[in-house]
Amino acid sequence: MLSFLIRRLNLLLITAFILTIIAFAIDRSVTIESDLTLSEQPNYFFQYLSYLFNLLDGNFGYSSLDNQPLLTRGLLFFNATLELCFSALLISCLIAIPLGLLAGLFRNTKLDYMIMTVAIVGLALPVFWVGVMAVLLPSVWGDVLPVDGNLSLIYDVPTVTGFLLIDTLLVTKEYGLFAFFDRIAHLILPSLVLSFFLVTEIIRLTRHSMTMVMRSNYIKAAYAKGFSRRKIVFTHALRNALPPIIPQLRLQLSTVISFAMTIEIVFNLDGIGKWLFTSLKAGDYLVLPAGMLIITGFILFFSILVEIIMVIISPLRRGSLYVDK
Amino acid sequence: MLINNGFNEDKIQSPLRYIWSIFKSKSIAVVAMWLVILLIFAAIFAPHFVPHSPLAQNSDKMLLPPYWVDGGDIDHILGTDDLGRDTLSRVFHGLQFTFGGAILITFIVAIIGMVIGASAALTKGIKASILHHLLDALLAIPSLLLALILITIFGPSYYNCLIAISLSLLPQFIRASYLAIEQELGKQYIIALQLDGATNLRLFRYGILPNILEPTITVINRLFTMAIIEIATLGFLGFGAQLPQTELGSLIASSMELIYLSPWLVIFPGLAIFLVIVIVNVFAEGLRHAVIEGEE
Repeated sequence: MLSFLIRRLNLLLITAFILTIIAFAIDRSVTIESDLTLSEQPNYFFQYLSYLFNLLDGNFGYSSLDNQPLLTRGLLFFNATLELCFSALLISCLIAIPLGLLAGLFRNTKLDYMIMTVAIVGLALPVFWVGVMAVLLPSVWGDVLPVDGNLSLIYDVPTVTGFLLIDTLLVTKEYGLFAFFDRIAHLILPSLVLSFFLVTEIIRLTRHSMTMVMRSNYIKAAYAKGFSRRKIVFTHALRNALPPIIPQLRLQLSTVISFAMTIEIVFNLDGIGKWLFTSLKAGDYLVLPAGMLIITGFILFFSILVEIIMVIISPLRRGSLYVDK
Repeated sequence: MLINNGFNEDKIQSPLRYIWSIFKSKSIAVVAMWLVILLIFAAIFAPHFVPHSPLAQNSDKMLLPPYWVDGGDIDHILGTDDLGRDTLSRVFHGLQFTFGGAILITFIVAIIGMVIGASAALTKGIKASILHHLLDALLAIPSLLLALILITIFGPSYYNCLIAISLSLLPQFIRASYLAIEQELGKQYIIALQLDGATNLRLFRYGILPNILEPTITVINRLFTMAIIEIATLGFLGFGAQLPQTELGSLIASSMELIYLSPWLVIFPGLAIFLVIVIVNVFAEGLRHAVIEGEE
């Protein structure tokens, strides 16, 4: 286990190192005079070293618009983005996993074709267009759900974690749970739109892994024992079909984040996408390396975490630990 | 000529021919294939057959609805925008930029990615390991962010947007083709070929390529879908095609403030993107099923 951890962390370090080089290159190419540039450094190598030490200190530079430290601002905005992503993940898992399992169980039937049609439609709808259409909704159905902003303006919620769902729970003394419910109402529509893409992806993965499991020998053995189909599906197949989806889903994380960034701009939500977009439009290019480091840092960290969790929960993966011995 | 019908031996069809005969039997996939061909022709020859110039303004006919709605005009089937420009012509010109650009990206990325992926899989040692780490780092950057970075550095224009999207999709394709080839390399017939003394090139052409057809089709389909969505997204955000160019995403963005007055202007370009992706996906899905059946 220890050697596995060390190997993973090693990979993390090298990749993070490459990413800081990329961030440094961006920083140098978008700015002529940067706060981080120590002009006494003679060449790029020493400039990079000082840049790296600044990063390790947590000093990502200051925004040239409002002179706020980029790291804290970026992290707060990124937390809002993560909140959106995870609520979308929750919604799409609730919708897609049952559909995918059904499609895998009844492969090549009418039901399967119907579900796969839904999946293709979900993939083909451009996210930003669905967002624009959703913004039209109040003019069609009346004010059912808010389509604009993170929170109604009547609530004054101090930013503590950036996760507004948590922040609104912290101010229950003033507003009760109303602020929390208001936040949920604001979150529903953007996360539904974001989940379109994820639903497609999860349906495909679940269907594939369910088909593979149902073809395997131990399922045939269970049939031979005379178990009912329901018992086989629920006790034997499900437990083996679901874990392989997780690492596959991890690969979609960066796509999901880039869609979330688009949705933030369409729905006017505060998040890292809108932050980058407005800053770039205003000419504050220093946000680019900072935003990139925050997002990629999270993705790297998350993927290593997923791998470690997979090793803990799945015996099949644990076997791969001993492959080298 | 000497033709002897009595002793004709049973012809064994070549694999490609066999796949084609299976593909022909799926009517939806064949329809999708003709539609794809039609789309390609429409994208190439759009300026020659659309009824109006996409930039021709007509101050008498502003914000017309489509012709089947009251007040519509048969001269402008899908209506006009706030300057009296014909929506149908603009959508077709947009197709040229969005669909044509996506096809271009798909071709270039598929060829370059396959070459790099294959050379990474077939060589061992430092080269593969460097590539591995570099790809890991590039894969961690979301494609929209990478496109934003490149466009910030090189300035927004349609061609820079195409380059940025190709660069952001390249690592995913390299990784996918690398994994597919790696999986194939462990199989017995490849080892047999290697023992025969086949060079890497021959190994790839005759041993690996026919067997990774199915995953490659899936990946190329995915590549195309992402390319078209990203071109439209960057156009929508204003980082892609610049103003006189009518790209579908920028069409949507430019009619955003008219959305309550004339929602058609937003609906039609979006529907066009949707239809293109559905058609190509149905075609690719049909092809994939034909390949799978042909292999079995």
